Amino acid sequence: MLKISSIRSILESTLFVWIGLTLIITLAGNSLVLPDWLQVVGRSHPILLHFPIVLLLMGLLFFWIPGIDKKPEIREIGEISFLAGCNFAGITVLAGLILAQEEYTGEILTWHKWGGLVVFGGCVLLYFFRSIKANFIRLSSVALAIAIIATGHWGAGLTHGEDFLLAPIQSNEIEVIPLAEAEIFGDVVQPILQAKCISCHKEGKIKGELRMDQIKGLQKGGKSGPFVLAGDFEKSMLIQRINLPEDDKKHMPPKNKTQLTEEEFLILSEWVASGASFEQKLVTLPTKNELYQLASVKFEGNKIYSFDAADKDDIQELNTSYRSVQALFPESPALDVSYFGISAFPPKSLSDLNIVSDQIVRFSLNKMPLDGVDLKFLKDFKHLEELQLNFTDLDAEQLKVVSELNTLETLAISGNIVDQSSIQNLAKMKSLKKLYLWETEMSSQDQETIKKALPETEIDFGFDGKGIIYDLNSPIISQSETIYQDSLEIKLSHPIKTAEIRYTLDGTEPDSISSTIYTKPIFVTNTGKVIAKAFAKDWKGSKPTESVYIHSGIKPSEFSLVYEPNSKYKASGPATLFDLQKADASNKGQKWLGFQDEPMVLEVDFKDLTKAKEISLSLLYNEGAHIFPPSKVSVQGLENGKWKPLASNSPAVSPKAAAARSELLTLELENTNYDKLKITLTPLPHLPKWHSNAGSKGWVFIDEVIFNQ
Amino acid sequence: MEKEILEEGLNHNRRKFLSRLSLGVGSLALGSLLVPDLFSGKAEAEEAMMKALPHFAPKAKRVIYLFQNGAPSQLESFDYKPLLNKRMGEELPESIRGTQRLTGMTAGQSSFPLVGSHYKFDQYGESRAWISEVFPHTAGIVDDICIVKSMHTDAINHDPALTFFQTGAQVGNRPSMGSWLSYGLGSENSNLPAFSVLLSRGRGNGQGVYSKLWSNGFLDATHQGVQFSNSEDPVLYLKDPESMSRAERRKMIDQIAEMNNLSMQQFNDPEISAKVKQYEMAYRMQTAVPEMTDISKEPESIIKLYGPDCLVPGTYAANCLLARKLSESGVRFVQLYHQGWDQHGNLPNEMRLQAEDVDQASAALITDLKQRGLLDETLVIWGGEFGRTNYCQGKILVDNYGRDHHPRAFSIWMAGGGVKSGMVYGETDEFGYNITENPVHVHDFQATVLHLMGIDHERMTYKHLGRRYRLTDVSGKVVKDLIA
Repeated sequence: MLKISSIRSILESTLFVWIGLTLIITLAGNSLVLPDWLQVVGRSHPILLHFPIVLLLMGLLFFWIPGIDKKPEIREIGEISFLAGCNFAGITVLAGLILAQEEYTGEILTWHKWGGLVVFGGCVLLYFFRSIKANFIRLSSVALAIAIIATGHWGAGLTHGEDFLLAPIQSNEIEVIPLAEAEIFGDVVQPILQAKCISCHKEGKIKGELRMDQIKGLQKGGKSGPFVLAGDFEKSMLIQRINLPEDDKKHMPPKNKTQLTEEEFLILSEWVASGASFEQKLVTLPTKNELYQLASVKFEGNKIYSFDAADKDDIQELNTSYRSVQALFPESPALDVSYFGISAFPPKSLSDLNIVSDQIVRFSLNKMPLDGVDLKFLKDFKHLEELQLNFTDLDAEQLKVVSELNTLETLAISGNIVDQSSIQNLAKMKSLKKLYLWETEMSSQDQETIKKALPETEIDFGFDGKGIIYDLNSPIISQSETIYQDSLEIKLSHPIKTAEIRYTLDGTEPDSISSTIYTKPIFVTNTGKVIAKAFAKDWKGSKPTESVYIHSGIKPSEFSLVYEPNSKYKASGPATLFDLQKADASNKGQKWLGFQDEPMVLEVDFKDLTKAKEISLSLLYNEGAHIFPPSKVSVQGLENGKWKPLASNSPAVSPKAAAARSELLTLELENTNYDKLKITLTPLPHLPKWHSNAGSKGWVFIDEVIFNQ
Repeated sequence: MEKEILEEGLNHNRRKFLSRLSLGVGSLALGSLLVPDLFSGKAEAEEAMMKALPHFAPKAKRVIYLFQNGAPSQLESFDYKPLLNKRMGEELPESIRGTQRLTGMTAGQSSFPLVGSHYKFDQYGESRAWISEVFPHTAGIVDDICIVKSMHTDAINHDPALTFFQTGAQVGNRPSMGSWLSYGLGSENSNLPAFSVLLSRGRGNGQGVYSKLWSNGFLDATHQGVQFSNSEDPVLYLKDPESMSRAERRKMIDQIAEMNNLSMQQFNDPEISAKVKQYEMAYRMQTAVPEMTDISKEPESIIKLYGPDCLVPGTYAANCLLARKLSESGVRFVQLYHQGWDQHGNLPNEMRLQAEDVDQASAALITDLKQRGLLDETLVIWGGEFGRTNYCQGKILVDNYGRDHHPRAFSIWMAGGGVKSGMVYGETDEFGYNITENPVHVHDFQATVLHLMGIDHERMTYKHLGRRYRLTDVSGKVVKDLIA
């Protein structure tokens, strides 16, 4: 026969099992993954919990029986029931921890969970230390009993809702009021009066003959005058009294009572300012209204939907690489569906949405090719509020289906042709708040028709650009090189395909009548400049754009510089001048030779090759950076052992600083009877007066010297 | 009875206790079976928290951030200060400057002469906002935008200030705002990256931008900004080599993924799964990108709206148009940078050119989103990294002056996506030097942007090197007044 002692022994052993499991599950926390059958265990928590409560409380009672130590049999009953209670507590805690993995969250769960753990831990300790001092045990037993009751209360709060126990004796229920329904007086002003005024102005205590517990009383006013007068701060007693200094006897609320907060003060003032209405709804105020801005934050701005949410797995499945299906916001049953990916769009997939037809509130099919797609399925979307169908090639038949969707508040059909019959159909959509009709080929008369038919709707016809004339942008000149040797192909283009490009090669600005129209690439074999402009209907002609091309016919066989360029700007030495690479108009990047203290003196020898008749110098000008045209350019030829002048030039200096630019300076030689050539570029000795560093030396920058016959 | 007492004693000897304890240990082991990740050390908590995003109903689904890099002068754009014209050339009062530190560029200046705007200002729209003459198109949409005149930042030089705006910290290596949003909300369209970056350069004195500004920082590499290039291939290295069929590519990606998954099992490095996702995304982008960038279907009026430059790849106008197309295709965050706003000198000339480049296209973007019914769900932001001083850098000439960096007060504007329209928020003193009303710190601005996207900036965190990080670091307050 099973003895009491072995039962006790088994129960004590199992206690350790519960402790271990409890430890692991508690520590694992949220990373727990539960098999289904364990959920069943978890859900038995609300049944199991009654056992430990009864058994533990009963066991605790035995500690209080006077002279219990002398009655081992009675003590045994108490201890066994307490031990059994401990075991049930363990099981219950385990089941509870598992159950907590389901959808319970929040502060109250935390309290209940840790309460349960404390009770379990506490009763185990109390059991094993039951033989120490009776007084201590009794004290602990009271603590444990309190813990049991508290934990039970929190648990009940979880299942039955917070304050379940005391609900019948409490009555101030707080309800979330949707913004759309909030009334200015009832939901914004009244609560302030209720909190700060009514205690002295109600039935039974009507101070100043003003009753504030009923609208009639407020409208009637009090002894000193009307309570409120729309828009009148002077005569409204409410505003007068709350504005008095707090020490004033007539200041309201009286000095010793709770005062209005700054926000309450503003709300009351703005209420009177905006008409002191007793019926008006908050949303009827313009959103810029001060009162609206103060009060609207107190209400639930998110629209509350009463329909059930769709199955989470269904929603998950509907999300594909071409379709996104999302809740409007967490916990909202309303869905927002968008399609992306024109080529991946399978019109058939639209029927997948049937399973969430009740929940779809926003639907976007922008740019999807809907040509020939039957849109009747949209009628099944009972709660559809916003539909976006921009650029979807809709025909009149499809638009008719759309116009019959009477739940719609926002409709965007920009980029679809809206014909006369469709206008008639759209005109029936009285409940529309916003309608987007850009690029719909509607005449201005059509626009008026629909505006008149839907006076409450905000209609956007968008930008059509008619009658506005802007500058065209310049054409693009593309050429593979600036300096070339044989011939060069130059292409002109403009991003607007219909634009006409006209150009010149003689340095004059092209016009829209006589200049050559560009039709095919231009081939050049000389040195010059192409200037191009674009023209198009409905546009002003573009600004001119230009590009130089430089023919380099002859290369010298020997060349040398008399003075080294400045050590900061020496690029790749004199070879730079003949590398046929045109540098950008920037003194950075070591592409230019720079001279300041010494002139540039270049000696060249053509030996037996053809001698040059024309010299072009590629120079950089950037007044801001002290880079100016040379004060003098001279070319000398060595004839019979003597240097003779062959050409010279003194380029003009700009009267003000301009942007960095590169210019080509060309000199024609008098004859070719020379043996050698010497080219001298003298830097400007003094910067002009207008310059911020007037008087200091100028720089000469050169990157290329080109010879031609 | 004697026996019972003896047994009682035995029941509690050490051996018995230990053997019972072993039961407990056994049950520990049993229980651990329920915790698959107990010993793998992977934290699921972060992911679980992220599943709760957005935290509340978002007002905006997408962001387009038109960053004006280099810091456009607020005094020549939105912050009208006639006093500066009246007191032109007079010294900036000590009492106004206070203890403001200066950059190395003007700290050595012996005098700080006030300089007024070279451009004329006028009031526009219902909000009667003051806007300068070089922004005529922005003036045309003034009732659709909210101008914030009271921005302030901590940094005084370009790189830290930019980094601060983008990542919430002045030093690098934190995730950019777009990366945070990609991490928090994911992509709407799984065929395109959630965070895209577009660059353009104006004609004014410019400052560089670096890819660290669109870096994912310590977040998963899938949240990195994808830079679109100006060339024929907007996304580089996306095209298949010639003669490779789509099916072949598919097969290759599948097999690489298989191998990657094997190493994932072995090394458990999240970078490996990021790589798999990136290959997959790139494959889908091969069709999605050409579809998205195709402008052949844009109506003619669009060219007039954005200006003809919108057809020239790489211009600001083209980027604005592309930004609209990306955003419309579900890209969560499109970041533009337009360089060239650093007018230390030659301001009257350069700022006009800069404004010419951006004004029409920025306004066009707002109009375009609006006429498609998308402005309500798209937040557009226009602004630089700080403002410019009210005193001149260098000499004042009749038609030439410059302004140094000024972090204490500057202007930006926002539009759409739940921001109040037709509003001017915040105020500066008569000198345009200090904020007098409703200051908005960069962290406040970031908190507000996240709020509009449905995110509580204090709750979106990422644990890295033992600390939880957020975009707004340890500060930032949502500016409720800006929210419609």
